[in-house]
Amino acid sequence: MLFSSISFLYYFLPLTLFFYFAVPGKLKNTVLLLCSIVFYAWGEPKYIFLMGISILLGYGFGLLVEKYRESLLGRSFCAVSVCISLSFLVCFKYTDFFIENFNAVTGLSVPLLRIALPIGISFYTFQIVSYTVDVYRGEAAQKNVIRLAAYIAMFPQLIAGPIVRYADIASQLERREHSFELAAEGIRRFVTGLAKKILIANQLGELCNVFRASQEKSVLFYWLYAFAFGLHVYFDFSGYSDMAIGLGRIFGFRFLENFNYPYISASITEFWRRWHISLGSWFRDYVYIPLGGNRVGKGRQILHILVVWMLTGFWHGAAWNFMIWGLFFAVLLTIEKLWLLERLRKSRVLSHFYTLFFVLVSFVIFNAETLGQAVSDIGGLFGAGGIPLVSAQALYCFRSFAVILAVGMIGATPAVRIIAERIMKKSMGEKILHIAEPVVWILLLLVMTAYLVDGSFNPFLYFRF
Amino acid sequence: MNLKKKNMVVCILFAVLLFGGFFLCLFLPKPAYSKSERRGLMAMPRLTAENVWSGRFMADFESYAADAFPFRDSFRSLKALTAGGIFFRQDNNGLYVRDDFISTVEYPLNEESLDYAAERFRFICEKYLTDQNKVFLSVIPDKNCFLAEESGHLSLDYEDFEKKMAEKADFAEYISVSDLLEKEDYYRTDTHWRQERIGDVADRLAQAMGTRLTEEYELHTLTEEFYGVYHGQAALPLAPDSLQYMTGEGIDSCTVYDWQNGREIPVYDVSQAGGRDPYEMFLSGSLSLLTIENPEAFTDKKLVLFRDSFGSSIAPLLISGYAKITLADIRYIRPEHLGQFVDFSDCDVLFLYSTLVLNHSETIK
Repeated sequence: MLFSSISFLYYFLPLTLFFYFAVPGKLKNTVLLLCSIVFYAWGEPKYIFLMGISILLGYGFGLLVEKYRESLLGRSFCAVSVCISLSFLVCFKYTDFFIENFNAVTGLSVPLLRIALPIGISFYTFQIVSYTVDVYRGEAAQKNVIRLAAYIAMFPQLIAGPIVRYADIASQLERREHSFELAAEGIRRFVTGLAKKILIANQLGELCNVFRASQEKSVLFYWLYAFAFGLHVYFDFSGYSDMAIGLGRIFGFRFLENFNYPYISASITEFWRRWHISLGSWFRDYVYIPLGGNRVGKGRQILHILVVWMLTGFWHGAAWNFMIWGLFFAVLLTIEKLWLLERLRKSRVLSHFYTLFFVLVSFVIFNAETLGQAVSDIGGLFGAGGIPLVSAQALYCFRSFAVILAVGMIGATPAVRIIAERIMKKSMGEKILHIAEPVVWILLLLVMTAYLVDGSFNPFLYFRF
Repeated sequence: MNLKKKNMVVCILFAVLLFGGFFLCLFLPKPAYSKSERRGLMAMPRLTAENVWSGRFMADFESYAADAFPFRDSFRSLKALTAGGIFFRQDNNGLYVRDDFISTVEYPLNEESLDYAAERFRFICEKYLTDQNKVFLSVIPDKNCFLAEESGHLSLDYEDFEKKMAEKADFAEYISVSDLLEKEDYYRTDTHWRQERIGDVADRLAQAMGTRLTEEYELHTLTEEFYGVYHGQAALPLAPDSLQYMTGEGIDSCTVYDWQNGREIPVYDVSQAGGRDPYEMFLSGSLSLLTIENPEAFTDKKLVLFRDSFGSSIAPLLISGYAKITLADIRYIRPEHLGQFVDFSDCDVLFLYSTLVLNHSETIK
């Protein structure tokens, strides 16, 4: 089920809120779990059992790891748990990729299995792995299977993150506060995320689709596409994270932030501290640091960076362009670590241009369907193939999407927040905002409902990961 | 209002909207048909174990939820107004409004589609016609031709379109009518041209095909408001068109036979003016094969008119120049079957198609 759908907004969410707030505190996790199962089964009825098995294995191994934590057995249980969880991920997500490449190398034609990717498997697998590893590292295992299942399957973050660490919400699973203040905070966050998705990301997605279908490519059109996709992926994914965080807050949870205005970064290193924070920190804590982190020599550090970023790319999808995308960042991060970062600090303007340029190029690679298309798209940005500088269709799209692009660019910076904070500091401004704010949220919801009623099925980009 | 009160107001308004929406979705009656969109709306899918397990129930429910949403048309209008008025989108779902005329952004030229149409026309000529038959082709430009330049929307190169089509259909003599048309010759809210304004087009076609039109016309205006197909799609609050039609002694004496349903029909079925698609009052709309016989014709000339829906309103104007006109819509009948119903001997043949169909000719069988 999509957050940005009529069925979620006007059927699932009211019913879930009703049952959740109607039952006493003890049963709230159970209600949340049952609703999460319905939410997941709505999109993937067959894979509900796979998620159930994963959760039960995580629960069982968590208890075993805690019991034998001090002995070699504890380490073994932890390793087995991680291997089983990852094997599910590999089996369902990467099997056909491996077969395709095996066929390409050997010339054989082993048939592809064409297994449908269970929605959210990349996210919940990483949560289960982090849970087991955290227990091995000293966190108390969850004795209540409902609580653990509610944590892993919790619908706000189940299918497109953020990757919530067990340690971050362990105490909230047992006891959490509910209030108008928290709920209102959650509603604001949820509606903001929904607006990012429906009003900005979806429209920019339309522009990307028009570009892809066009036979009238030009340099301007390639750059328009690069900007549009860069903003599209940001508003799509950060919008989803905002909705997840907002819904979490309504239910009394505090999830960590997943985005922090990444497009204002002055280096790629900074960009990755601001973009998909939960994934970056997951790889840092569960792969990079266990490999030795910064405690090893420069050569090993570079090797580890390559490994981590290749895996980061591969996590996004079973295709070479994702791996190249990850390695592209590995190379940039290594260059920055060794040499460039110091120099970038000297010119703020240039460093922003540098970051934006490479991030946009990276997303062109990210969104390509094949490596060939990635090369051709990057070439198009620089006029390769003798394409014209402008085309009628590019100009038309520029005019048609200029406001959305401008809104996107401004919205990707903290400008609106800063202006709102300044207005709030003035007593008259505060009064006006207090009155206007609830009206704005409701109007936004109505406009978004109108877009949903008029629009078609529009899945989130990160559902495929 | 202090912060605490504001938070309460936000929560209450949010709850009212969500729960209000939920109850309205549940209890308001659901229309089965959308008049504005001219389509059947999705019904509530059947809740069975098989449907749920296969995921079909959920997929269908998503469509149902959007289709059955309360005040659907008002929400569609809100979306259209937001897209144009706030985001300044040049078009909404491919439609735009200029000078109160609604048009689609017909773009780009689809050369493969033109090839396919020409190939199907060629097939008809080779299968049914001889050197005795004179073959003509004419292309009707869509409304975008007359609006796009002023409004800055994308548009086809219509001259190039006609030239290409004439070259591809080199078995036919090309008759250009685009210089006779302007935006006012089309309904503001519909795809089609207005019958009362295309007399000059009919004259040009008749003259080029070696006949003349003798009818003295009388203009009739229907009282029903005509909301064209674009009106519903655009979902914008625009005024309706008026529907007019031309009669004359010759037209009144004609008989029309509908081969698809095996019945006689009137040239103008005014009862359809209040129906699903009022433009269907012209020769009863989308029918695969019709013959119009004119007992008062001054000539024994016959015409086979291969046409789309634009042909429905111009055929009555052409009839005074012919003893018989056969109208074939090969979007609804395979050309291979035409021989069973149509005698092509001693007939002139006119392929009269709009750019909208030629540029999307996959609908031609």
